[in-house]
Amino acid sequence: MSNAAPTTRPEDTTGAANPDALLQADGIHRTYQLGQVKLNVLTDCSLHVADGEFVGIMGKSGSGKSTLLHVLGALDVPQRGQVRFDGQDVFAPESARRTAIRLLDFLSPFEKRRNGLRRRQFGFVFQFYHLLPELSVLENVLLPRMVAASTRAWFARREAARQDAAAILERVGLGERMKHRPNELSGGERQRVAIARALVHKPRILFADEPTGNLDAAAGRKIMELLSGLHKEGQTIVMVTHDPGVAEFADRVLTLERGKL
Amino acid sequence: MYKLFLTLRYLRSRKIAYFAMAAVTLCVAMVLIVMSVMGGWLDQLMWRAKNLLGDVIVENRSYTGFPMYEEFIAEISRWDEITQATPVIHTLGMLRFPDQPITRTVSVVGIRLDEADRVTDFRGSLFYEKFYPGTTTLAPARRPLLGLADTTLNSAVDGQPFRPPALPEPYAGALREARRRHAESGSSEPFDPQSTETETNRVMREWGGPQFPGVFEFVPSEPVLTGEPLPGMIIGRDIVARRESDGRYHRFSWLPKGINFSLTLWATSDSGMVDVTPTIAHFRYVDDSRTGIYDIDSRHVYVEFERLQQLLRMEEGERVDDGGRIAARCSQIQVKVREDVTDEALLALTQRMEAVYQRITQDPEAGLDVDELQMAASVEAKTWQQSQAHIIGPVQKEKMLVTLLFGIISLVAVALILCILYMIVLQKTRDIGIIKSIGGSASGVASIFVLYGAFVGLVGAIFGTGLGYVFITNINEIQDWLISWREDWRIWDLQVYSFDRIPDQMKVWDAIIVGVIGVAASTIGSLVAAWRAGTMHPVEALRYE
Repeated sequence: MSNAAPTTRPEDTTGAANPDALLQADGIHRTYQLGQVKLNVLTDCSLHVADGEFVGIMGKSGSGKSTLLHVLGALDVPQRGQVRFDGQDVFAPESARRTAIRLLDFLSPFEKRRNGLRRRQFGFVFQFYHLLPELSVLENVLLPRMVAASTRAWFARREAARQDAAAILERVGLGERMKHRPNELSGGERQRVAIARALVHKPRILFADEPTGNLDAAAGRKIMELLSGLHKEGQTIVMVTHDPGVAEFADRVLTLERGKL
Repeated sequence: MYKLFLTLRYLRSRKIAYFAMAAVTLCVAMVLIVMSVMGGWLDQLMWRAKNLLGDVIVENRSYTGFPMYEEFIAEISRWDEITQATPVIHTLGMLRFPDQPITRTVSVVGIRLDEADRVTDFRGSLFYEKFYPGTTTLAPARRPLLGLADTTLNSAVDGQPFRPPALPEPYAGALREARRRHAESGSSEPFDPQSTETETNRVMREWGGPQFPGVFEFVPSEPVLTGEPLPGMIIGRDIVARRESDGRYHRFSWLPKGINFSLTLWATSDSGMVDVTPTIAHFRYVDDSRTGIYDIDSRHVYVEFERLQQLLRMEEGERVDDGGRIAARCSQIQVKVREDVTDEALLALTQRMEAVYQRITQDPEAGLDVDELQMAASVEAKTWQQSQAHIIGPVQKEKMLVTLLFGIISLVAVALILCILYMIVLQKTRDIGIIKSIGGSASGVASIFVLYGAFVGLVGAIFGTGLGYVFITNINEIQDWLISWREDWRIWDLQVYSFDRIPDQMKVWDAIIVGVIGVAASTIGSLVAAWRAGTMHPVEALRYE
């Protein structure tokens, strides 16, 4: 499927900052408590992603791929380890870190930073598209721009955001479907809307969690060609997949086994 | 911005929100209706209370009364704030109906009609005075009989000529004048909307003859004033007429205007001794009064102040033992003040009045004896609010209590909103994960649902206020409609309540307060769901099946 064969190489686990890395994870530990059972999902995972790189993370079902992606994308908080984006820590120091969410978290500078990263620097594509059914295609794509803007700023930049959203929808081939609702689209089209939504705010990293996992082969191929095209234009992508055929599109593939890279 | 956008979108798409809005609408309307009816009742009661006794009441709450009232009235009448002051006597008596084995205990009030009218607009409460203006007097008067006119009319039934009934002067002229005024006013109301039709009037309506408000004894001869002149008595309307369930009064043919009633009284001496020998006096029924307060209209009769003072031996006299002067007594002074006197100024005025009264009575020149000084010492001046606090206070409390009870019932709406919003949060769990994945904060997500609750409350409050307004302003028509189906469905029984109509006014401030509370309650109802949404972990939310 891919033009160039991906390389698999061991990650640096020393914890030292890599000056070339846009995103760097060091010693990530993530444990879940399921009743009486403690489940170690990630154990001392370290990796770095360079600017403009397309990194694939492979692993069997339940190996912790999605958890790692969530931690890298600041959606989840590891108990131990740190993620640095653009040289800056994403999480609070371990001694002051909490994994649960509180309403007053907006007062925490690290929580603010994490929300800010998700608003402006990161974009997410999920296996099940995760579009809001009440909104049209255009409104779904505009949503990240709305979240990132204050009310006043939104009214000032609304037209520009609309034009950007229309342009990105044209780019993913859905220029004619902007007023449609998600339930009026096919699976492949929905995933393209999700990609447009993830890209509308021009994120520096696109996180894709099994982007073809819910699609047939033809639709999956189209999605991967779209992601590959974006990568060629300079988009940094971190993708999680269990499908080796999909992983071939990545520059570099890391394998996760029993919580370890 | 996204919070408002998503809130509005969820409101539009989630039909279940309409149930929450309907609950808030009904609760707001319910509380507003209760507040308006109870508040209207209280307002009417306060208005009546003020108009019943004047602005300030000076009294010592004793049937014995108190002396030096003329001197006191003369002094305070010189004050700028005072418009009119009049003495009143209150006592108890037995009223015997003419030619009937009926005797009732009544509260007898001695008034100076002209002065009382200036203090309390007393003439406005009278029935015959309204249709025969200028004829009601407490001074000795004769009885008018309805006779036959000296002209003829052709009957509308068989075309035969007949002599229509006619009243003697000054009643006939006064009635013509009242009819002319009514015609000029352009009012669409009947001339006498408050009475049921009498037998005479029913026959005259069929024959095309003249109508006469009230009841007059008919004689088939010339209309005349008959009988010896007797002092007039104004009787509470509920004593001489029966209030029907529709609020109108049925007048009895055996109680015509001018009929003779006898009143049995017991005098009380200046030492407080009640005379065991009753005094019986005869009065002519000249009019009936309706203040709108059933307790008063079913018990009070009004006679001339000086006549009652004489019957109760409360007039000025000479002391038997030392030949000294016994001061005349009254049991109350009603005072009307200028419209622009504030409540605070009125309160200060009462204190000033008490001081003046004490100064007058303690002046050695007044020559009061020990008993009189004791009577004078207990005299108090009260504002109308203080005086009527025993009536107004319980109604105020009742209004508060009923509003509170309905407010508590309205908590059901809060619980409903809580349940509905919690359900919506569960339904939208994935959406919450998505919003958080694109940078929505915990507080931002929570505020979507708080806004949702507030909007539900706002829409409910607006519709509830509208519904309440429509209901309140048409409450009497709704009752009339219900009665047209079944008389048992009368909610506001006019035989029980003293007001003809159910209060049908909504106060703007009531609407604002209830509306704001409705929005606040709805918002509070959304807090649990909002907290749940805000603290939801984005990864768990995204994985939610």
